[in-house]
Amino acid sequence: MNRSLVMRAAVIVFVVGLAAYWAYPPETKIKQGLDLQGGMHLVLQVETDDALKSETDKEIDRVLRDLEDAGATTVQAERTGNIAFRLTGVPAASKEKLTEEILGGDEWEWSVSGTTVDVNLKSLEESKLRDLAVRQALETIRNRIDAFGVAEPIVHREGLGGNRIVIQLPGVDDPERVKKLIKNTAFLEFRLAKEGVPSASSREQLVAALGGTVPPDVEIMVQNNRDETTKDIVSQTYWALEKRTVITGRDLKTARPTQGQFNEPNVSFILTREGGRKFAEVTGASIGRNLAIILDQHVISAPTIQDRISDQGVIRGDFTFQEVQDLVTVLRSGALPAGLTYLEERTVGPSLGKDSIEKGLKAGLYGSALVVLTMLVVYTFSGINAILALGLNVVLVFGALAIFDATLTLPGIAGIVLTIGMAVDANVLIFERIREEDRAGRTPKSSIDSGFGKALSSIVDANITTLIAAMFLFFFGTGPIRGFAVTLSVGILASLFTAVFCSRWMFDLIYARRQRVDHISIG
Amino acid sequence: MRFLTETNINFMKYRGFFVWFSLALLAVSGVELIAFKGLNLGIDFAGGTQMTVALRDEVSTDELRRQLADAGLGDAVIQTYGLPEDRTVLIKTPVVAGSEEGSAVVITRALGTALNNGDAFDLNQRGTQAVAELLFEKDPDGLRGGDEAEARLHYEETTAALLDARQPVFRSMDELDAVSGLSDATRNLLKQETVLGAFNVVGAENVGPQIGEELKQKGIWAVALSLIGMLIYIWYRFELRFGVGALVAVFHDFLITLGLFGLINYEFNLPTIAAFLTLVGYSVNDTVVIFDRVRENMRRHRRKPLVDVMNDSLNQTLSRTVLTSGTTLLVVACLFFLGGEVIRGFAFVLLIGIVIGTYSSVYVASPVTLLWEKYFSTEGDQVRKAGKA
Repeated sequence: MNRSLVMRAAVIVFVVGLAAYWAYPPETKIKQGLDLQGGMHLVLQVETDDALKSETDKEIDRVLRDLEDAGATTVQAERTGNIAFRLTGVPAASKEKLTEEILGGDEWEWSVSGTTVDVNLKSLEESKLRDLAVRQALETIRNRIDAFGVAEPIVHREGLGGNRIVIQLPGVDDPERVKKLIKNTAFLEFRLAKEGVPSASSREQLVAALGGTVPPDVEIMVQNNRDETTKDIVSQTYWALEKRTVITGRDLKTARPTQGQFNEPNVSFILTREGGRKFAEVTGASIGRNLAIILDQHVISAPTIQDRISDQGVIRGDFTFQEVQDLVTVLRSGALPAGLTYLEERTVGPSLGKDSIEKGLKAGLYGSALVVLTMLVVYTFSGINAILALGLNVVLVFGALAIFDATLTLPGIAGIVLTIGMAVDANVLIFERIREEDRAGRTPKSSIDSGFGKALSSIVDANITTLIAAMFLFFFGTGPIRGFAVTLSVGILASLFTAVFCSRWMFDLIYARRQRVDHISIG
Repeated sequence: MRFLTETNINFMKYRGFFVWFSLALLAVSGVELIAFKGLNLGIDFAGGTQMTVALRDEVSTDELRRQLADAGLGDAVIQTYGLPEDRTVLIKTPVVAGSEEGSAVVITRALGTALNNGDAFDLNQRGTQAVAELLFEKDPDGLRGGDEAEARLHYEETTAALLDARQPVFRSMDELDAVSGLSDATRNLLKQETVLGAFNVVGAENVGPQIGEELKQKGIWAVALSLIGMLIYIWYRFELRFGVGALVAVFHDFLITLGLFGLINYEFNLPTIAAFLTLVGYSVNDTVVIFDRVRENMRRHRRKPLVDVMNDSLNQTLSRTVLTSGTTLLVVACLFFLGGEVIRGFAFVLLIGIVIGTYSSVYVASPVTLLWEKYFSTEGDQVRKAGKA
């Protein structure tokens, strides 16, 4: 046998073997998109304005406190935008103190006119804060998803410096629960009830007990009482609570699910050292008063303080088992710095994904069978050559998907099926040329030579156009569509190798080594 | 089998007729796209909610429509999905103003209120985590006295076996008896403590208006840039008149397919864009192969008029054209009929597009080139210079 034939055989065996090795077994080696394996795809927007507002509010508090310490007690403050506030009634004596010391540093800029001072966050600081909020949200969401227990979750920020977070959760089949868990602000706080004002069953009753008006340092909050078995809300209790919080979720070191004496699910928590110190101080001084535990603006429970509590406690409420699990997850993961908005959600159940794979495979198998049949009828023995090339093509596509870690999606499967139809084009172009040369009375060897030679430019031309389209599809497409662009491009590149290189080798193997061949079996 | 070999059809003789034929098709598409129905934009571009819901019992779409209208979702579109025995429906609602989360939650709740009674644990709708937690909590196999982690693992495996059998709804509790991997105690617990709800949401998509608008922009860019990409490629590869012919053919295929797609009222979504881009590539591809041959023949027969060279070339490439279009059509037809609902629209574009694209390679690209030659070509001897590449 000719040396070049052996060399080329080695190349083909090597390439195809490598592809097969990479791709086998496809169930584990090829990554499936969420549309095939089932799961959840979410795009969230972090409302970074929230974070700016709360940062500005904090700054207002600090500035007022510092001014008070400096003797300026009459200053009024008002937030005038996300990152701006106005101080009015600033005495002349405190102005220098305010601008030089209190607002000093590089974060804020201000303008003074009379007794009014307008304060603005510098734009560099603004973008830093926004960035920080997104990074914190990302971290918190990651913690929550890890705690929920999803295999191979993907949580990443979209683009550089964007305020969107993309989440992909394979296999998740309870989207509502996951969405709630992710978005849950779970803002936990402990506040004392107003001394001497018991809870009431209506707002009016409570306001009357307060003496007709709600004092500025008091806020009325509602507790929903639920039926023990059905968990429906059966009644509401109104509480007059101090606005000042004793501790918040940030003071928690850890939380875990526990069970009470009747096996009812509760959450127990341990405070940080600082939190414990504050808590002990307040509870020690307030024995006999009610301490309200507030989650997201709703009173969960408001037990009477029996004793000084230092660093641990239990939150009792009408929780279900699942609510306790989720609450613990959220409390442990830390608070979200800003609200989240769902921009896009796509959930595919496992049964739908399985169905898609089955249908895609079926379409692919029937399609291939029809193509194979056509090639055999039209090109007889040479058709087998084309069919082998087609088979190799599919192996190469899977190998490439596996090694590039590309994701196979439903449109991706359609792309492979389509490639099967289009990949024979290269073979057809070559075979038709060979037939023409054959008709023109050339010898088989020379027909094959010039058939391959002349068809090459058409093959390259024809495939480049499809590659151009696939390239733009890849750049502008998302998710499943990218999967299509990938399989289509890979399929076309693989078809160049199989149709031009592999088919040629097969022809040469059969016809070229014999000196006298008087007929090419090409239909 | 050899077919269509050494044909000698005078394709160009009928070009006058087909030019009018194409213009008529273009006019139909234009009217459809601009003045008639336009495109039926799916939620990918229009925003909104789309849910696939598997039902336990047969419920008519009219009944469902009434239930949803009662819940304030009067504009919901409901259609059956897949085969009738799958008892699956597709529910679509437009973007709800002010509701960032779309209406999946609202639809689920409305269906729940209408079709289910009570808040008992719904074995048809609850997810893996919830079922595993229920089993762990109730502990029918009595494992929690020992190793907690092992007990958890045991119930997770039980849940996996159970939910694998849910395809995608249990129609009766008797189906549990056939599930292997469940202990009798677990089976009894499930039968007592859970109910089989009337439906299971097997797929849900919410696309906010903002994302919809972005996807639309991206889609337009992708199509526009790939058309420009083709233009540049053709410009580089061929001299002007061939380029004009090929380009007109591409736009012709694109517009007519788009018009027919709108007329048939299939939903235009992300996979449809992919199909259109593929079509653009395919259409150029088909034309390029023919023009390659024209160029080659012009070099060989320098004295022949262009129209004859074209006829020769079309005849010589005819068997290839038919065969390639044929095999591609075969697989696309398989995708259309067997590939499932999700890619039916995608396959439809290619089905129509390949037929139109093949036709246009013969009867649009070539006649346009000849027309250009007749009216705009100033140098008669351009034919001779055709072999530049």
